[in-house]
Amino acid sequence: MSSPSKRREMDLMKLSILLMMSDYKVELINDGMQEFYVHFNGPIESPYHGGVWRIRVELPDAYPYKSPSIGFVNKIYHPNVDEMSGSVCLDVINQTWSPMFDLVNVFEVFLPQLLLYPNPSDPLNGEAAALMMSDKPAYEQRVKEYCEKYAKPEDIGAAPEEEKSSDEEMSEDEYESLDDEMAGQADP
Amino acid sequence: MFTFLPLVMQAVVFTDVTFEKAIEFNDYCHDHKPPISFIKAEVRGLFGSIFCDFGPEFTVFDVDGEEPRTGIIASISNDNPALVSCVDDERLEFQDGDLVALSEVKGMTELNDGKPRKIKNARAYSFTLEEDTSDFGIYEKGGIVTQIKEPKVLNFKTLREAIKDPGDFLLSDFSKFDRPPLLHLAFQALDKFVSEMGRLPVAGSEVDAQKLVSLASLINENSGDDRLEDINPKLLRHFAFGARAVLNPMAAMFGGIVGQEVVKACSGKFHPLFQFFYFDSVESLPTANLDPSEFMPLNSRYDAQISVFGSKLQKKLEDANLFVVGSGALGCEFLKNLALMGVSCGKQGKLTITDDDVIEKSNLSRQFLFRDWNIGQAKSTVAASAAALINPHLRIEALQNRVGSQTENVFDDTFWENLTAVVNALDNVNARLYVDQRCLYFQKPLLESGTLGAKCNTQMVIPHLTENYGASRDPPEKQAPMCTVHSFPHNIDHCLTWARSEFEGLVEKTPAEVNAYLSNPVEYTNAMNKAGDAQSRDTLEHVLECLKKEKCETLQDCITWARLKFEDYFSDRVKQLIYTFPEDASTSTGAPFWSAPKRFPHPLQFSSTDPSHLHFVMAASILRAETFGIPVPDRVRNPKVIAEAVDKVIVPDFQPKEGVKIETDEKATNLSNASVDDAVIISELIRKLELCRENLPAGFRMKPIQFEKDDDTNYHMDLIAGLANMRARNYSIPEVDKLKAKFIAGRIIPAIATSTAMATGLVCLELYKVLDGGHKVEDYRNTFANLALPLFSMAEPVPCKVIKHQDLSWTVWDRWTLKNNPTLRELLQWFTGKGLSAYSISFGSCLLYNSMFPRHRERMDRKVVDLVREVAKVALPAYRRHFDVVVACDDDEGNDVDIPTVSIYFR
Repeated sequence: MSSPSKRREMDLMKLSILLMMSDYKVELINDGMQEFYVHFNGPIESPYHGGVWRIRVELPDAYPYKSPSIGFVNKIYHPNVDEMSGSVCLDVINQTWSPMFDLVNVFEVFLPQLLLYPNPSDPLNGEAAALMMSDKPAYEQRVKEYCEKYAKPEDIGAAPEEEKSSDEEMSEDEYESLDDEMAGQADP
Repeated sequence: MFTFLPLVMQAVVFTDVTFEKAIEFNDYCHDHKPPISFIKAEVRGLFGSIFCDFGPEFTVFDVDGEEPRTGIIASISNDNPALVSCVDDERLEFQDGDLVALSEVKGMTELNDGKPRKIKNARAYSFTLEEDTSDFGIYEKGGIVTQIKEPKVLNFKTLREAIKDPGDFLLSDFSKFDRPPLLHLAFQALDKFVSEMGRLPVAGSEVDAQKLVSLASLINENSGDDRLEDINPKLLRHFAFGARAVLNPMAAMFGGIVGQEVVKACSGKFHPLFQFFYFDSVESLPTANLDPSEFMPLNSRYDAQISVFGSKLQKKLEDANLFVVGSGALGCEFLKNLALMGVSCGKQGKLTITDDDVIEKSNLSRQFLFRDWNIGQAKSTVAASAAALINPHLRIEALQNRVGSQTENVFDDTFWENLTAVVNALDNVNARLYVDQRCLYFQKPLLESGTLGAKCNTQMVIPHLTENYGASRDPPEKQAPMCTVHSFPHNIDHCLTWARSEFEGLVEKTPAEVNAYLSNPVEYTNAMNKAGDAQSRDTLEHVLECLKKEKCETLQDCITWARLKFEDYFSDRVKQLIYTFPEDASTSTGAPFWSAPKRFPHPLQFSSTDPSHLHFVMAASILRAETFGIPVPDRVRNPKVIAEAVDKVIVPDFQPKEGVKIETDEKATNLSNASVDDAVIISELIRKLELCRENLPAGFRMKPIQFEKDDDTNYHMDLIAGLANMRARNYSIPEVDKLKAKFIAGRIIPAIATSTAMATGLVCLELYKVLDGGHKVEDYRNTFANLALPLFSMAEPVPCKVIKHQDLSWTVWDRWTLKNNPTLRELLQWFTGKGLSAYSISFGSCLLYNSMFPRHRERMDRKVVDLVREVAKVALPAYRRHFDVVVACDDDEGNDVDIPTVSIYFR
């Protein structure tokens, strides 16, 4: 097992490769590795499609032994996400986290699954859960209203001042210029 | 006049007695009505033995000291035997043969009779019950299974019988499985030696050793079936040499074990030692062969120790430069041991102890260097003075610095480089990990230990031999899922977690926010406007409530507030929840929503005659008054007065909110209305707040309360226990008393003197090896012990992993060094030269370079030290010549290679 600090580096490295190949991005704050933001798109097959969320990722000191802390920054209507704080109630991120998991799992598997298959039996947002169970079309309508209102690209572009000024935020242009180099990179 | 009170003796301990006498006393104790528990303990040099006889029929009420295990039932079959399945969110910890009782089962109600039933086929989430349930009702839902801890009766033999027929020995060291019978023989031989010679063997006397070996041999020849193949004369020689010496670490360890046995004898709590226990630590002897002259007494206080280890090792102990981190329970024991052993008591010696804590009353049960008049004083200073009284030669310095990255100016490179070894006496994992990293970096041996109730563990971290402390770790504590804590608790821990968080919100966070607003309204409201999110809105709503609707000016206001809080928490919220999710609600798949582990709640009906209801209101109103600076007269602590006041409160009727929302208060209604913008509401709230502020007296501030578990008179635990228990009552969860609530909510780890003494004794036996130097990894021992069972498990430390790449090899103890102040490009090229490609370089938690971030390429020709200064914003003081970076790299085939820390010298 690598030392925890090195694991942090490698995770971020893997995540950044993955993210650059897809269409979302990572915002580092002053090159710190403890806390950063990832832009996350609603999965295609779900009512969340078209929405984009800024996800706050915090890596605790004990990471990867302790799970990363994951929160939605802009609002989402979902039975397992607290509307107020954006906290996620998901067993793989909280109770059953294993040091074998990494951030790529979180963004490629856990979060898409959460949005594809909400679990209204263990709700954090009771209203969303009850609506989903009693009136699925109304629930999906509500999800879309929320996406429209809170989860458009411009909603997450409006980052607070200090983050915007971060000189390390990768802009869209940089992704394009990276494409050629990416081809030569070994798959981690 | 003086009279004897009739004295009922429960237990007696013999420490220095011949077998003959011991047998005589033991027979008396065994046959006494009621029997007297008899314990014999003997420590001879690095060898020790304990014998217990708690009488012909001794009842143990609690065999392991663990809480009864429980499970939440999901289904039960109508079968013989019946199969019981439990919910899969927590693994069951039952064992075959355990007795359990079932309760709250719906449908198959025959099982709720409280009768103990035996379980079999225990699996992670199921077991079978020894019961034919074929004709029982059909299981519907619900049910809790709880282990019934059975008392166990032990039939002890007397020493007279047990010497001849010792039965199974409790094994402590699995690399020495044949040792206990040999030591059983050795102690008998020594007893014979003493009775024949009238004295103990002399250290270094080959004649005496030979005599002991022949006595052992004789006893062995006459022991029939139990005869040993090999009586190991070399080991017996060591035994003879040390027979006169009582060593401090052995005394500490055996004192701890025997102390726990006495408690077991008197309380019936925990399983006694049954019956002989033998232990040795010959590996603690120096590696080099010692000349008999080395054992000669020097007429010093260390003569006993010298007679075992020789004068050379004694000198090494005295000249050691030791760092003891922490001066709590372990720290006190260590200081006592070290002072007695003479560690750091020589002219070259130095002992540094540090602890930033002060002495509290609750420490006095085990931190025995402290007295009640020391309460409030610095732990390290008091402990150091007490240790210096034990041994005036101890060269000790006491510091009050917490060890961590903030104190590296105190514990600087020179400090670390001069150390011989480090002894951890810490109570938390983070500090342990930090010290581990420092020891790894400065290549210093680390002697690590910890206790948890009757359990203890020790771990030796030896440079270039063993893995480091952080290399293997326990999984972090499991936390309850948020949704469970919010709305669906199913045990008291969930209720207490919720109670802690509500306590903080009510009496700490909101008053602090109020003050933040009042201290600088412009800045505060600007920040809220700027954030403009749901959380800011929530905070502002609480601040406004506190200053307007729920503002308290009199004690009656506080009582009213507390009464309404009760209604909100334990009645209205529950009514709303069961309105949103009725008892018969079903999920999308048609399964009942309220199925295990979720428990269906019931609202409470407040009654001023219910003492728990009243106590909640009392604690809540007293703390509320405190936050508003309202004086609380003593009469308020009278339940009658509270009852009268609370009955005057008019409580509005509950109306469920339309729509489907769990929370009930005003703000929740607004929240569910997705079409209203947070920003708009925030401006409105700020407007209302500003109006409120104009009516406040000048300089008005609230007083936030910080949770303090240890003051029994501050009502903090009363409020938390009240919140948790009323919530438990909502969900029909068994309630707990204030003390139990304090243990769970305060995350108090029970600490007892016995396991602490034992842990430090074991560590000091290792310290002999560390300070002698030259021992192989096989000589060291890590220990896990549980005095409750009892269980002793000692094993060699895990060797450090050797990593190989091309013709290089290294371990975690190695470091790679670069001189000449390289640029980033030069650093990367240096790795290329080793066949490695460095793709990511970090300093602390700051990324200096990552091949994926294009902007980082602009840094190629910068000196790495400048990147540390500019990117990581770290000032490198003048005394620093180097800094360290963590480099992630892979080889030609793209495999990650775990390389050592890289030190870069820039001056």
